[in-house]
Amino acid sequence: MFENCTDIRGLFSRYLDGYCESQEMKSIRFHLRYCRPCTQELEKYQTIQADLRGLPRRRIPPELSLALRVRISQQLHNNWFGCWRIHIENFLKPLLIPTSGGVLAATICFALLLGSNFFPPVHRPDVPLALVTPPRLLELAPINFNTDDDQLVVMTRVNASGQVTSYEVVSGDISPELRNDLDRLIYFSVFAPATTFGTPTNGRVFLSVSRITVRG
Amino acid sequence: MGIARPVSVAIEKAAEGSREAALVAELQGGSEEAFSYLLAVYQNPVYNLVSHIVESGSDAADVTQGVFIKVFSGIRYFHAQSSLRTWIYRIAIREASNHRRGWLRRKLREAFSLDQEPELSDGIFARSSIQSETPYEIAECSERQRTVQRALASLAQPYRTVVVLREIEDMPYDEIAEVLGISEGTVKSRLMRGRELLRRKLEGYWSQSHV
Repeated sequence: MFENCTDIRGLFSRYLDGYCESQEMKSIRFHLRYCRPCTQELEKYQTIQADLRGLPRRRIPPELSLALRVRISQQLHNNWFGCWRIHIENFLKPLLIPTSGGVLAATICFALLLGSNFFPPVHRPDVPLALVTPPRLLELAPINFNTDDDQLVVMTRVNASGQVTSYEVVSGDISPELRNDLDRLIYFSVFAPATTFGTPTNGRVFLSVSRITVRG
Repeated sequence: MGIARPVSVAIEKAAEGSREAALVAELQGGSEEAFSYLLAVYQNPVYNLVSHIVESGSDAADVTQGVFIKVFSGIRYFHAQSSLRTWIYRIAIREASNHRRGWLRRKLREAFSLDQEPELSDGIFARSSIQSETPYEIAECSERQRTVQRALASLAQPYRTVVVLREIEDMPYDEIAEVLGISEGTVKSRLMRGRELLRRKLEGYWSQSHV
């Protein structure tokens, strides 16, 4: 409680910063009450502290501040990826709004046109667009044809107009009567021509014919 | 009231911590805006700190630039073991000390004189903010600031750094210890010794001015 001047002065530094414990504070205050030299010394320390705290804070020169920003910016973009990103951004940014606007306008126009009667519905049958299609039998002629339970395989040649030009029996027994019936059957049937890239062309089709009975 | 204050301080610190974490995340992501913000907040304190440690204004500018380049390149390795301010100040102190060591190798230290004009004095001692002061008082205040500045500049670097961090940057003991990588006890003893040296250096000036 009643320390000498040396002990008390050793506490001045912490006392100035407010880091003394309550007991130390009491000791200092009590000591200062009767010790004039210590009071004067503490006042000097307090004056120095006030002077130091009152020193104007140095501000960075504006040119240094600018140089720092430039340097940091350069460092940030000092890699090939960053360079490319900037180039791409610079290239794309001017195009971004016109392109987005154009795409949006086109989408809106397309949606409006699709909803209107601008495009009339097409009812024509689709043209097969496969590379090559064989001739197809569309309609078989209503003619009796008796093969006695045997099956005939007939290769039929169809021209670009869908007309049968000739035929040939590939397998099966055929009598002269049966050939007459087969003539009528083949020549009166309706065929669709073969196509190449959608264009009608000559082609061959194999038909398997067995017993046909027409009622009525 | 006695309880509310620490709670509000704790909340404030937590909010500050989350803000700092967000800033650090932005910095580590390479955001240019975050670095601009960092510069805006820390460039003046760092320059002020560095200029009290190195000898000349141009050196302070170079060192400050180096500090921020180091901060920029090292932010990826900052793991928030200390606050961002402590980390930046630690870099600043280290850079300034390294620069000063190099400078000392090149130039012999000159004898200290309170009459000698320091290089940094140009334009930094702004007039007092009290507008009602007379020109004489303003001149006296300016002269006093110059003298204190010269006395501070004449201190050995360990003492000067601690005095600057405590008196000018208003850092608590534990943060000073963290910035300098020394114990709190060493901070206290250096601060006491630095203040004592300053008092001795300035005693002569005061006795002259009061005559």
